Amino acid sequence: MLRTACQEQLLPGDTLQEKWAFAQDAGYDAVELRSKGDFHFRGRLPELKQALADGVIMPTVCVDMLHFFAAFDDDLRRDALEQMRSQLSVAAEIGALGVQTPASYGMFSRRLPPFEPPRTEEQDREVLLAGLSELGEHARREGVTLYLEPLNRYEDHMVNRLEQAVELIRTVGLDSVRIGIDSYHMNIEEADPSASVLAAAPYIGHAQVSDSNRFQPGAGHLDWPAWIGALHSIGYDGYLAAECRLTGDPLAAVRSIPGFLRRSGA
Amino acid sequence: MTSLLETPAPAAAGHLALRRGAARVLLTNWTGSSTVPSRGLYPHQWSWDSAFIAIGLRHLSVRRAQRELESLLGAQWSDGRVPHIVFSPAVPLDAYFPSPDFWRSSTAGAPSGAPAGTETSGIVQPPVHALAAWLVHLADPETSRSRGFLPRVYDRLVAWHDYLTGPRDLGGGGLAAMVHPWEPGMDNSPCWDGPLRRVDPAAPGSYRRADLDHGQAAERPTDLDYGRYVRLAADYRDSGYADVPGEHAFAVEDPCVNALLIVSEHALARIAAETGGDPALHEARAARLTEALVARLWSPSDGMFLCRDLVGGELIPERSVAGLVPLVVPGLPQHVVDALLDTATGTGFRLGEVPMAPSYDFTGHAFDPSRYWRGPAWFNTNWLLERGLRRYGRARAADALRTAMLDAAGASSFAEYVDPFTAQARGTRAFGWTAALTLDLLAAARNSDDTGPAGPAAPASALPIGART
Repeated sequence: MLRTACQEQLLPGDTLQEKWAFAQDAGYDAVELRSKGDFHFRGRLPELKQALADGVIMPTVCVDMLHFFAAFDDDLRRDALEQMRSQLSVAAEIGALGVQTPASYGMFSRRLPPFEPPRTEEQDREVLLAGLSELGEHARREGVTLYLEPLNRYEDHMVNRLEQAVELIRTVGLDSVRIGIDSYHMNIEEADPSASVLAAAPYIGHAQVSDSNRFQPGAGHLDWPAWIGALHSIGYDGYLAAECRLTGDPLAAVRSIPGFLRRSGA
Repeated sequence: MTSLLETPAPAAAGHLALRRGAARVLLTNWTGSSTVPSRGLYPHQWSWDSAFIAIGLRHLSVRRAQRELESLLGAQWSDGRVPHIVFSPAVPLDAYFPSPDFWRSSTAGAPSGAPAGTETSGIVQPPVHALAAWLVHLADPETSRSRGFLPRVYDRLVAWHDYLTGPRDLGGGGLAAMVHPWEPGMDNSPCWDGPLRRVDPAAPGSYRRADLDHGQAAERPTDLDYGRYVRLAADYRDSGYADVPGEHAFAVEDPCVNALLIVSEHALARIAAETGGDPALHEARAARLTEALVARLWSPSDGMFLCRDLVGGELIPERSVAGLVPLVVPGLPQHVVDALLDTATGTGFRLGEVPMAPSYDFTGHAFDPSRYWRGPAWFNTNWLLERGLRRYGRARAADALRTAMLDAAGASSFAEYVDPFTAQARGTRAFGWTAALTLDLLAAARNSDDTGPAGPAAPASALPIGART
């Protein structure tokens, strides 16, 4: 049985403890944390440790910043690397499995003007490999995993499909770097999302879920049984973490997710 | 939907691995709108394969299962026939023989209503489709209704059965006739040896078999048989795929084909009731077909059904598993049921003693444990026998057969067929309907193992088991 998690900002409550109580009541198995920049996440360590002591299950972290480890701007890239290293260390300190990040988000799209990015594909690749190596080594030392998330073509121009992430991870050669797949992005980019799960099987470390329209699972038209069936068939034993927008009554929407995923085979 | 893939069955720890393996085959063989029987040997969409595959695929993705049947029916001819192959334009012509340039459906088939934009073969396969459609619906009625699945396929399924009971009633006795050995689906069954002797084989140099590129010659039909298959198909094509009584060099009434037609006609009755139509028409036709099946194909001395040769006019004295498949038909006379059960467990088929029933009588003169439909055990026919045993109150025998099939499917890597004594793999591996029917048997096994009360979120896959047609 696959476990489900809900990102913390979707859950009602002022504290992680309150959010966890709601999450458990709705049938979730865990909370996925969001990690902001400026070392904000590190600053939350006392809060996180208290939550841990109170029994909140927080196995995974999703980065919540506006610049990322493959940014065009050198200063932003260096900062993103520093933030990610810190966040991976915090994850280790609270016993989490790892942190998920895209290569970039909202920085450039080859499908939107001006269409040609300032770096060549070779330069992009160098930056990606350097960042993944540095963060992967740090994650390995900390005993956690960096999850690289392919985004759709409108949100990132470098890593859109699972096969691209697989190629980068193979080249980096670190077990501490895996793919963090996302059903919404896969729906846009993969010809057959279920077949892509099979093809990338050994490299998949984490999974985030939202429907075809970015709303909660069940609010769109994804073929969830086929996608979840593929995860089962590769023996995936991680979490399905809800990272989505909500349509309809927000609390009812959040509550609906575990049951929906369960009925879809999770 | 079902949580089939993850719930370990308490009765068998190995079922989880089996489920995952079967799901992997179906996910790998999926092409976007249908499932290929195998990636190498059979790279297109096959008619009865798709129906059996949909029956299993419903446990993995009801949408794919619906799509499987819809894409097949989308290639239906306007005379109602559902072609036995729908060709993928993405596959090279030499990947499979006979290829689209042999069948020439869009031109040679035009007088019979072949579609202009899709290449298909011009012959048919057994009508499992309405049964499959009904079972797919039952797996998730809510999704089925919201997508308008049954109304969309109903008219096409009716036209299909109208074709089989109309133009294909070549014998005039109320049964569907098959005009090529590939049509009953059991291509090289010894049942066809006699009727085929009248057929001049096509010259060996006039075509090139592609099946031997992927399969072992000893497990495939012989070259002589193949030459006759080609001759019959070419003659049918050259006639514009016309169905004319008395004009076919090969014409047979097959008990498996007609049994599946009856079961599917009963399913059509249920589909009609669900969609606001009249089930009585279909029940009446099913009853007429059942009567004709017994009247024309039952052999009391053999204790089973035989094929009828419409050219020679006699029953064909060869005992194949096709003659036991009518066990799936409801409402058979009790003496027929009793005799069928005796024959299934007797020396010819040894059900309960060997892992799975062979495709042909163990004691028959043509028995060969390795060669395709001349002895090997197949998963689709045994799935049908399992249903038949259950229908007629032999639950323990059905359970045993189900267990044996699951063991054989897993051990053989979902082989196309297996040696009937040892269940060793034969033919191609990762075969679509073997994997699909494995999922269906696992779902049934899981549900029969359930002892607790079903909660409100009970998987929909519980439904088909209690709703056999």
